[in-house]
Amino acid sequence: MKLIKVGPWVVGLAAVAWVAAGLLPARPVRGMNIDAFGRLPVLEGGRIKPIDSVARNSLLMIRSQMSFRFEEEVGGQKVAHTVGADEWILDVLFRAEVADAQPVFVINDPDVLSLINQKLSQTNRYFSFREIRPFLPEIQAQASVAEPIDPKQRSRFQGAIVNLYQRIDLYLRLQNTVQVPAGPPLQAELASVAEPSARERHSLLASAAFFRPLPPQGDLKANWRSVGEALREAANGAAPDSGLGSLARVGAAWRAGDVASFNGAVAELRAFGVAAKPEAVAQGDHEIAFNRVDPFYSGMVIYVAALLLVFASWLWLPQLLQASAFALLVAGTIIHTGGLVSRVILQGRPPVTNLYSSAVFVGWGAVVLGLILERMYRKGFGTAVAASSGFASLIVAHHLTGDGDTMEMMRAVLDSNFWLATHVTTITIGYSGTFLAGAIAIGWALRKHIAPNLLPATDKALVGMAYGVICFALFFSFIGTVLGGIWADQSWGRFWGWDPKENGALLIVLWNAIILHARWGGFIRDRGIMTMAIFGNVITALSWFGVNMLGVGLHSYGFMDKAFWSLSAFCGSQLLLMAVALAPRRFWQRGSAPPGDGVARPA
Amino acid sequence: MSDSNAASFAAHKVWDLLTSLKLTIVCLTLLMLLVVACTLAQVQLGTNAAVDLYMRSFLVWWPVPGAGWSIAIFPGGATVGLVLMVNLAAAQGQRLERSWKKAGIWIVHAGLILLFVGEFVTGVFQVETQLAIEEGQTVNYVEHPRQQELTVTDVTNPAWDEVHSIPEGLLGDGEVVQVPGTPLALRVRRYWENAQLAMPGPGFQPVANMGVGAGVQVQPLRPVAADDRSNMPAAVVEPVAGGRSHGFWLVSGQLGATQEFVHEGRTYSLAMRPRRQYLPYSMTLKKFSHDVYEGTNIPKNFSSLVHLSNPARSESRDVLIYMNQPLRYAGKAFYQASFGKNDTLSILQVVENPGWLLPYISCTLVGIGLLVHFGISLRRSLRRRAAAAVEA
Repeated sequence: MKLIKVGPWVVGLAAVAWVAAGLLPARPVRGMNIDAFGRLPVLEGGRIKPIDSVARNSLLMIRSQMSFRFEEEVGGQKVAHTVGADEWILDVLFRAEVADAQPVFVINDPDVLSLINQKLSQTNRYFSFREIRPFLPEIQAQASVAEPIDPKQRSRFQGAIVNLYQRIDLYLRLQNTVQVPAGPPLQAELASVAEPSARERHSLLASAAFFRPLPPQGDLKANWRSVGEALREAANGAAPDSGLGSLARVGAAWRAGDVASFNGAVAELRAFGVAAKPEAVAQGDHEIAFNRVDPFYSGMVIYVAALLLVFASWLWLPQLLQASAFALLVAGTIIHTGGLVSRVILQGRPPVTNLYSSAVFVGWGAVVLGLILERMYRKGFGTAVAASSGFASLIVAHHLTGDGDTMEMMRAVLDSNFWLATHVTTITIGYSGTFLAGAIAIGWALRKHIAPNLLPATDKALVGMAYGVICFALFFSFIGTVLGGIWADQSWGRFWGWDPKENGALLIVLWNAIILHARWGGFIRDRGIMTMAIFGNVITALSWFGVNMLGVGLHSYGFMDKAFWSLSAFCGSQLLLMAVALAPRRFWQRGSAPPGDGVARPA
Repeated sequence: MSDSNAASFAAHKVWDLLTSLKLTIVCLTLLMLLVVACTLAQVQLGTNAAVDLYMRSFLVWWPVPGAGWSIAIFPGGATVGLVLMVNLAAAQGQRLERSWKKAGIWIVHAGLILLFVGEFVTGVFQVETQLAIEEGQTVNYVEHPRQQELTVTDVTNPAWDEVHSIPEGLLGDGEVVQVPGTPLALRVRRYWENAQLAMPGPGFQPVANMGVGAGVQVQPLRPVAADDRSNMPAAVVEPVAGGRSHGFWLVSGQLGATQEFVHEGRTYSLAMRPRRQYLPYSMTLKKFSHDVYEGTNIPKNFSSLVHLSNPARSESRDVLIYMNQPLRYAGKAFYQASFGKNDTLSILQVVENPGWLLPYISCTLVGIGLLVHFGISLRRSLRRRAAAAVEA
């Protein structure tokens, strides 16, 4: 009996503790405090962020992973170790020859592979810049042919080659941010800053720099500067930026493995940052914590665990496992919520600002709704549906991170916290509701065929849940859609323009309205509601992602081409599940289905 | 059964149909199909043409391939919208109880009707124009970006111009247009809805014999419908007065040079330009700003600082128009839409829509209505659950 009380608490707290353990600072590399280095604030993409974020996002774009195994020769011995994003960016910035040998470019396209004389193999899809370099002219030539073509019209090869070229470009810009890889290191550059031959390198550094590491000094209105710009000013007779010397020493110490000098120089840079932009440093520390905890990834893992526990509870120790699953769901929700709040604080914006964050928020909405349902009905079903929706949407979000920084700046017309907070948030909650209703319906359909005996009370509860959630979804999607119209009226003078995204939102509203009216008119009953609710998933997915693939209209900010097949597969699977929902219970066991099983009759 | 009985029976049938929930569902489904078709068609046709085809029409027409004529294959958005509105109103009066329990539904449906009305008002009355203005320039007119007009301007007096404009719709091969207030008539020799001008090539046959148009080749183009392109009409006109011809003149928005002729001591200038609508007030662009995020090209904000002066109301003030912050003035709303000429030209979208407030009211009504209705339902369901719990 006691275990039933204590067990769930232990499980939930363990999950939270596991996530919190991610906050521990990164281990020093060769004794050097790369954790402190990763915290240094820089300006990139119009936003102040820690170098750690630049490193993670860049590595994610180039390799699709945030760390990799690498064998390095240390004192004649080959030592393999895991290279994290902070260590990688230090090598890219200061030890170009090491970085060039690291296998960071992931290439999956067979035609692109054959272009660089490689064969498609199961074992190696990762290549170093050194392996790719000989083929750069060819890659550039192919990419320059493909680049002007509209992304929708590109062939698979063209898409892949443009993608590779963009990643190479990013890599090279990173390498040319602090010093020119083929030129002198920053220390030597500083010593001979006035030499005429150095001018060309200053310009290269100023134009190529991927981020700006030097905070404005003194004057509040001054801009962040790149190393190249600071060198150019120094060459023109100004006193060199005090950050340049420290940055040069960081580089020299990183190359030489001089622990004391590295740590000292990084501490100096941090002190400069604190003096110039204290809030930027504080925000950097917050963002580092966010990066480390990776709340949406950890949340995803916890949701899976919760889901597995619910399944287990239907076979064994129902009470304990069901309560533990609920505890895990609560832990996952806490972490998910914490992540959302963190993003809101870091970005200074409402939770939904792009496709990625909409996925995170849709999941969150569905999970919170599911939690409420579980508290109301206590059948483990709310937990299962909430955990699977949370998991599914975080997976989708995870696959939308490939575009780099997920906290990018908002383009002018979207730069309105009021409308982001009202229209975007409301409509996203509408998506959550429609998906949750669909998930409940899927659960209902599967249960009908799998469960050995159906309790009518549970069945009724499920239909009640779906019905309530559809009402909820109709409310939010309608209000969200009309608020969107009002935003459009405010920003370009027409309430409704039949833009694809608007139409998508309207379809969700219409579909939910049709379900409810058909139910009120008695044209459908339980089975009809559930089948139609599953189709709601198709409509929501299409209006959420599908309209972006059309590439027309004012909402095409989130264009994506790769997701087409995933979306088609999702829609196909939903249609299949609708068939499952429509099929008579355990139809495969009977010779023939009895007629009239749950068929709609007018009331 | 007598005739009157049959008639009343039929009327009953129609009334039943009009008030039925089935009709609601059919209409909603048709609307969904139209929306899907309209969305997909936008890839090919552009938004405006697709909306005109599917939503702002009573019937959807399908051109029979090769036949040159069309057949109606589907009810258009306007029909479905009207039927839905009638259905809503009829059902509301007929079927729904007038009780507090249904108050929410009443409010929702009233709001929806208002939303449909608003969309009809917009479809019929909304006029979209543009105001392009350079820094330092003062402008007292808006232009219709998709319509052109032929202007005959009496420029004799250097102090003012007397502009006579002829809408594009009056131009057509062989038409004769009298220019009011002048002795002139214009004979339209040729008219192209969309044409581009080019340098003369081999086999060049001039279409005009006067002005710069005499040395220009006209290449007819297919009329376009996409949102980001507009037709460039051209015409060859022959000004005639007192039985005398002033030659054949080519007019097109693409001709920059002035084309003038003299009749009885008065000088007239011919031009084709976007259709203008003059305003009783004027705007001067003091400053256009295009802000970007530091270290990037990502636009942060566009804004136009405009001086508005309206002598009739003795108004003279500065206004800042920026993203999501239009100027609403004298029935028109001015939005920051675009820019050009190295950030010295600002283009404002100007919208006149007498029904612009309706969606706001409608949204509020539906929101409140849904809250009331679902609130009542939730309370009832919670009570039932509580009662069930007591029984158990």
